[in-house]
Amino acid sequence: MKISNKVYINYFDSISCAGDNSEELFESICKKKDTISVHTNYVKEKSVAIGKILKDKDLNELLFDRLEELLINTKLKDFSNTLLVIGSSVGGMNETERLFFENKNYEKINPKKHPIDAIAYFLNQKYSFYDDVSFSTACTSSANALGYAKEVIAKGIYENVLVIGIDALSHTTVCGFSSLSVLSSKPCTPFNKDREGMNVSEGFGILLLQKQKQKNSIELCGVGYSSDAHHMTQPHPEGLGARKAMENALLNADLTINDIGYINAHGTGTYANDFSELNAINSLFIDKKPKVSSTKSITGHTLGAAGAIEAIISCMVLDKQIIPSNKGLDEIEIEGINYSMETISTEVDYVLSNSFAFGGNNTSLIFGLAK
Amino acid sequence: MKINLEILEASYLFGEKEVENLNTKELVPTMVLRRRLTRAAKLIIELMSKVNFKDGRIIYGTSFGELLATSNILNSILKDDILSPTDFQNSVYNTAVSYSSILQKNTSEILTISSGEETSLKVLKVGSIKALDGDEILLVCCETLNINNIEEVNTCIDFLESAVALKVRVTQEEATINFDDIQNDGYPKAIEHILQIAKNFSNNKKNIIEVEI
Repeated sequence: MKISNKVYINYFDSISCAGDNSEELFESICKKKDTISVHTNYVKEKSVAIGKILKDKDLNELLFDRLEELLINTKLKDFSNTLLVIGSSVGGMNETERLFFENKNYEKINPKKHPIDAIAYFLNQKYSFYDDVSFSTACTSSANALGYAKEVIAKGIYENVLVIGIDALSHTTVCGFSSLSVLSSKPCTPFNKDREGMNVSEGFGILLLQKQKQKNSIELCGVGYSSDAHHMTQPHPEGLGARKAMENALLNADLTINDIGYINAHGTGTYANDFSELNAINSLFIDKKPKVSSTKSITGHTLGAAGAIEAIISCMVLDKQIIPSNKGLDEIEIEGINYSMETISTEVDYVLSNSFAFGGNNTSLIFGLAK
Repeated sequence: MKINLEILEASYLFGEKEVENLNTKELVPTMVLRRRLTRAAKLIIELMSKVNFKDGRIIYGTSFGELLATSNILNSILKDDILSPTDFQNSVYNTAVSYSSILQKNTSEILTISSGEETSLKVLKVGSIKALDGDEILLVCCETLNINNIEEVNTCIDFLESAVALKVRVTQEEATINFDDIQNDGYPKAIEHILQIAKNFSNNKKNIIEVEI
């Protein structure tokens, strides 16, 4: 199929422990604000640092508010000509947990409100979308949602796609990552030699992708996918899958490694991820080394929402021409990477954002200034 | 927009409690890997063997994901038991196809869709759009609902394990299979569209569907 429309991000919004909106998020990142808090009520006899949103409303209610704002701030009259693509790793799990822990049985669990589709089910109560689809590939869920949005607009199938990456905190994910011994008791420090692990967090990122370019559009230039075919939870130590995803994204964007000015790394703060991802970056970016940072030391790991939130961060890097630094990176363990040590204003044309997940599911996205 | 797909191979499995007589031992000779497989992973690996699909893009659909691993986690947390790391790693929705990729050394794009009762319809739509690139793609859906006390929430599904696979590629030829009038009582609605197609597949004719996007 030869059609290859350009794809523009014309609106975005987010909420996370790092801020109530995308401006606050980016400011928290640039100013290295303390956003992760220590909690003792998730894992028995253990303190874990997590990224919690301090709001009275639950995430779904907040999502309604933000979609109302989207309709006001964009030229969309409604969503009748918009494809909704959800990316989530837990869907309605926190609601399931609440009912199951309260009743100690499944009887009151509504099968429509438990699975990943619970988010779309909830939104469809209020809005009419042209169609919807929900992706769940663990921590690449919303990166894959963005990749699909690019694909359907590029192929001329849809003109408007609303991508929502969303995950709420749940005992399942916090206790689950604890069982894998990868949680940190303090805010995570990706790429740092004395790292402890990751921070599970919650949030959502909303992006409206369209065929039509607007005044402040950011282009989604490329998407690359791959599978590690290696292990369920451990990424390939040489980063072969991660490298292939980045190569495929460059190919899809028709760019070279020398075009990339900044990499927003997956950078969870676990040794296995850092080692694999940095090896992949080191092996691919040989001549010109782009700046590399992970913003999860500020946002925490929002799991299925991470791809969307980090896409928004990438858009803001391009919009503001500011590359954020790595918070908590004091002692470098793996050499050969152009780590961003200080937040700097600089010219940057293209940003590459990595998302990797359980099962060796890898997705890389490339964003650029719309030309 | 309409996209036509040629169904190159089709296969399906179902069981009231469990699908029996799987060839997992032959298909997954490494015991360490075999012991970690979820029921969905075993069904997917079985179907991939039946439709002769080893390498390439996979679009997987499941409405409820890995229900057994999820329920084990919930019960462990409720009872203050030690949570199994294997249950957690097996609880993500893309578990089954990830195991298949490890087994087959398949490094291609693998996407998991979970769209409730319309999951298999969405797999067909997404698969059709992906197939426009010209490659052969595996579309596969699976539900494994056989957990303790499932009757507390299940009143309409008779077959607690069911899985369907179609190997497809895009075509310009006219449709030969209609999947509008679906009669699949007792199966999960999440697989009904793709199951209808698999049931109407015949090795003696061209099998073509028209997917309305």
